[in-house]
Amino acid sequence: MRRPWVIAFVAVTTVAIALVPVFGSAVLIQYGINALIFATLAQSWNIIGGYTGYASFGNSVFFGLGAYGTAIAMTQFGLPFWAGLPLGALLGVLCALLLGLPVLRLRGHYFAIATLGLSLAVAAILSNLEIAGANIGLILPLTRADGMFFELALALLVACVLCVWWISRSRFGMGLIAIREDEDAAAAMGINTTLYKTAALMLAALFTSIAGGIYAYWITFIDPASAFDPTLNVRMVIMAMFGGPGTVLGPVAGALVLSAVYEVLANWISTAAALLFGLVIVLSVIFMPRGLFALIGGIRRHGPGYLLQNVRQHRL
Amino acid sequence: MSAGPLFDARNLTKRFQGLTSVDRVSFSVSAGEILALIGPNGAGKTTLVNLISGMLAADDGELRFEDRRIDHLPPFRRARLGIGRSFQVMKPFPSLTVLDNVAVGALFGRRGGARSRTAAREQAHELLTFTGLGLHADRRADALGGPDRKRLELAKALALRPKLLLLDEVMAGLNAVEIDEVVAVIKRIRDSGVTLLIVEHVMKAVRILADRVIVLHHGEVIAQGDCATVFEDPRVIEAYLGKRRN
Amino acid sequence: MLLAQIIVNGLLLGGLYGLMALGMALVWGVLNIVNLAHGAFIMLGGYAVYFLFSELGIDPFLALPLAMAAMFVFGYLLQLLVLNQIVRSAMLNTLLITFGLDVVLTYLAQLLFTADFRTIAPSYAGANFTFLGVTVPGIRLAAFAVAWLLAGIMWLVLSRLPLGRAIRATAQNLTAARLYGVNPRQLYAVTFGIGAALAGASGGLYGMIGHLSPYIGVPLTAQSFVIAVIGGLDNPFSVILAGLVIGMAESLAALYLGPTYANVISFGLLVVILVLRPARALRSA
Repeated sequence: MRRPWVIAFVAVTTVAIALVPVFGSAVLIQYGINALIFATLAQSWNIIGGYTGYASFGNSVFFGLGAYGTAIAMTQFGLPFWAGLPLGALLGVLCALLLGLPVLRLRGHYFAIATLGLSLAVAAILSNLEIAGANIGLILPLTRADGMFFELALALLVACVLCVWWISRSRFGMGLIAIREDEDAAAAMGINTTLYKTAALMLAALFTSIAGGIYAYWITFIDPASAFDPTLNVRMVIMAMFGGPGTVLGPVAGALVLSAVYEVLANWISTAAALLFGLVIVLSVIFMPRGLFALIGGIRRHGPGYLLQNVRQHRL
Repeated sequence: MSAGPLFDARNLTKRFQGLTSVDRVSFSVSAGEILALIGPNGAGKTTLVNLISGMLAADDGELRFEDRRIDHLPPFRRARLGIGRSFQVMKPFPSLTVLDNVAVGALFGRRGGARSRTAAREQAHELLTFTGLGLHADRRADALGGPDRKRLELAKALALRPKLLLLDEVMAGLNAVEIDEVVAVIKRIRDSGVTLLIVEHVMKAVRILADRVIVLHHGEVIAQGDCATVFEDPRVIEAYLGKRRN
Repeated sequence: MLLAQIIVNGLLLGGLYGLMALGMALVWGVLNIVNLAHGAFIMLGGYAVYFLFSELGIDPFLALPLAMAAMFVFGYLLQLLVLNQIVRSAMLNTLLITFGLDVVLTYLAQLLFTADFRTIAPSYAGANFTFLGVTVPGIRLAAFAVAWLLAGIMWLVLSRLPLGRAIRATAQNLTAARLYGVNPRQLYAVTFGIGAALAGASGGLYGMIGHLSPYIGVPLTAQSFVIAVIGGLDNPFSVILAGLVIGMAESLAALYLGPTYANVISFGLLVVILVLRPARALRSA
């Protein structure tokens, strides 16, 4: 993405988004915070799933640990948010390191479900700890400052995008991509695959857990069900896949588009919104398996027949 | 620099669920030579290459490279020490360009490799020209045809700047003209200072290239020496053709 | 004796869990599809039996074959029309599309059936046997028997019938199977249909033991996955046995650690097994 007009477009859009709290309605700001947090989740998943090729279905564990770490620091130890947030992030990154090492030895379906299982297990463990408020959850100090949370979420997203942009251009990123393409060949070419995979997971965990911390403070109340919500996992993966895994802006675009689609559907048909959302997922996997950006590029090069080409390639 | 051989294997053994695939194999490779590893199908040649490059762990025996034991080093460390390999079933990075496939090796090769993508890509360009792939630099690696994929395997392995290069049946499936081309490239590689261990079935190439030959049969070394000696050895002939009927 | 009771409960429930996992293991082993909507199929089968019982008065155990037939057709069409289109796509895509299906089915169920809990309660629901001081609920015992029966039928089909041979051949080598005249689209659709039928049967049985709601799907999918991994994808009986293991582990965990730890045990077991027995898991799926 070196073309100057792309960078200019992104810069202008970012500034425009940053101005939403000034001009937008309260509802828009709230929707925006949600969308920005999801964009960060999708983009951080991109690091481990899109670039390294390890499709994790358990990143919600980092979100939950970030949320709980922040909440516990603030409610049980009386620390301010700016101290609680790094603690939550530390919790998430440590989890990635300790649990990542054994689980990253698995591949494909097994890795996906092992991560899902781990996230459910950690959630269950936390729901039994008194310090975490057990099943009742924790209530954080109230701060009515949606504008601040919006800018915070935006800043986190920008940081995450910059990190992915760095990955796309660096030696480290090249190593991750090689691991994705062929892990044995990558090792034979001198890449320390264990170190790189774990580092990628820890990076993803970092941004995801900070997002969790921000979410916890914003929403003021967390419990195991909401902080470790298992559907978060599939939603962030779908957003990343929809936009284009392994690209710098794809997952962000995917998250913003799908959030908007969901909002529109929800306002228009309410309960059926989730149903239609499921249909959107099914159709996009069939017709654009490599994401939105790849689809747009494909249609530009080959015309609308490109849609059927995807199906022909992947059908039995 | 040690005065001993570049690479040394002693009593190397590997078993798979009751089948001994490599059986007390011992040999050494001197710096600058080309050693050919031949033997009938199933003799254990690729297993031996996997043991040397680190993809498999030996059940018994020792491996030394430049007089250091490397038995417990994982594949990526052996690559960084200077042991490069090509894969018999070729493993390109499918959605990367040919250039980037090679650049990966330049980025991570011996002693860590190049530090920046740009430097790595420059080295990659040189290697592509060296192996005859210069025109294909920007194509996707999975779009290459058979012989070109072989060249890509070679270029990738060379990008590590290896001291010892293991080539696993790199001539398989090539026609006579293509074989001559690859033989020429291998000679250039040797002339640039790389030591080679080649696993081959194409005897013409072995005769031209090999300084010494080792014959493997049912996992054991049954003959070692220069081409002439080995090819006349009755045990070698029996291994390939079966027992002589009188 | 409490421990004996817990063990018996665990075994009986485990048999049903094994049946739930059987369909998923079959589909995974043959089509290499991990069906995230599997729990939704269980749910649908349960509702089918529920309505056959409550609206038409058909005895639930007699309604099982009817529900299975309906689920077979449903699964067959789903595979033929939708899933066959993405079979050769990346693994992640099959996970995502089945997740999308799960969302669609769950919310359809919510719209059609509401979120109320339903139980299938025939007149003999409360019947118990007492055996060596342990109370064995009649329905759970029957469910246990049905699970083994269906596993046995699966085993017979796979090992004796031409269809079963075709299925096993396709599981091992699709290209070779094609060369021997297997029509892959049909075979995939039939296999997926069988998987759905098995899920439906387990749903009907589950409705008699627990309660049905549109949301029971996801935890059952996850649990079936664990059992399928532990039991392996080759032998129906080992899947049921794996179900027994999980059923026992959950029962014992609930007794000694408390009910919330049941989940932890299943997934902890899964992760431990995957990490310690890497041979199968390291083959990229």
